[in-house]
Amino acid sequence: MENLERFLREHPLLRGLPTEHIASLVGCVANRRFEPGDFLLFEGQRDGQIFLIREGTVAIESASPGGPPSTIETVGPGDVLGVSWLTPAREHFDCRARERVVALVIDQSCLRAKMEGDPRLGYALASRLLQLTYERLSRLRLQRMDLYR
Amino acid sequence: MRIAGVTRELPDVFTWVLEPPAPFVFSPGQFNMLYAHGAGEVPISISGPPGELVHTIRAVGAVTRVMQRMTAGDPIGVRGPYGTAWPLDELRGKDVIVVAGGLGLAPLRPAILELLGRRDDFGAVTVAYGARSPEEILYRDEVRAWRARFDVDVEVTVDRAGRDWHGPVGVVTRLVAAASLDPKRTVALVCGPEIMMRFVLRELEARGVGADRVWLSLERSMKCGVGLCGHCQLGGRFVCKDGPVYRADRVAPLLYVREL
Repeated sequence: MENLERFLREHPLLRGLPTEHIASLVGCVANRRFEPGDFLLFEGQRDGQIFLIREGTVAIESASPGGPPSTIETVGPGDVLGVSWLTPAREHFDCRARERVVALVIDQSCLRAKMEGDPRLGYALASRLLQLTYERLSRLRLQRMDLYR
Repeated sequence: MRIAGVTRELPDVFTWVLEPPAPFVFSPGQFNMLYAHGAGEVPISISGPPGELVHTIRAVGAVTRVMQRMTAGDPIGVRGPYGTAWPLDELRGKDVIVVAGGLGLAPLRPAILELLGRRDDFGAVTVAYGARSPEEILYRDEVRAWRARFDVDVEVTVDRAGRDWHGPVGVVTRLVAAASLDPKRTVALVCGPEIMMRFVLRELEARGVGADRVWLSLERSMKCGVGLCGHCQLGGRFVCKDGPVYRADRVAPLLYVREL
């Protein structure tokens, strides 16, 4: 538990959150390892977890029928996957570990209940997740411009 | 002057080594006006180490397409060197992050070679390079050799890749965000498409590296090379004469002016 609290405090998404908020999240979290090739999330999956990456890189991929998958982006330590579980969108691409990955895995229904039960925690997390999501959108917009053509 | 050698870097990018009749003195970051007889003249940054006159050129227009067909031994007109240089002497003792996108690695190559050649003069050196795809990494063998060194941190990301690419996928700003840097000691040299440079500037600022410690190399339509014709005017400046290398805080507002 003590380790989990420390890992949570150290992750960029949660850095600086009040101690009571971190303590309240501990019950929703497990620290897990994924081997290269393991999938953290699948496209089309109807239920899943949220991953706070601590070590290793994950490829966000999409495969076309009969063809090899394309890597859309790679994410690494400090990044978050599975944010859309907290929204009605619930949409993902495939997320595959490229090397050994260590992540804090958060049960999304548990987290949602915590956020709804404590609006201060809910607001703090929602603001951070919105920032992270916007940064990702901004990067993808830039990528889509194909600037180096 | 004659072309001494040609290297095909990418399908539309080639590098010339030129044979000057006398030693050609330039500073990293400067450019030459290259003239293909009967076709026209274009500004091309110098991309070789001191003492070697090297130009890396993308075939994108009428003149550079003619140049792409030229071979070793062909004559070429050279005016220069022109413009401002990367301020390498001012960077002595500081940590340096070099951020390049696409062909923007070419004007930065002389600076990187000098940083590596005078390695003890500088603190930590980081090179962050973004390419379109793994196949379009410029100076591939040389970038690989830089990565193999223990005294420089070189990261390469690509915008798109299949599973056979094991490096990062995403925009170069991610490398800046993830770079291990001490903002108080760090200065940055940046070159690439202007949109990329604006995003890099913002990311560097978010990391605590203000625009007064960032240098950019700008590209505009340069014709005369000496600040007379006005083709490359940027606000009250002429990029060919006052640039192409600028300290970012001196030009940053102009980068957001549309159609300038």
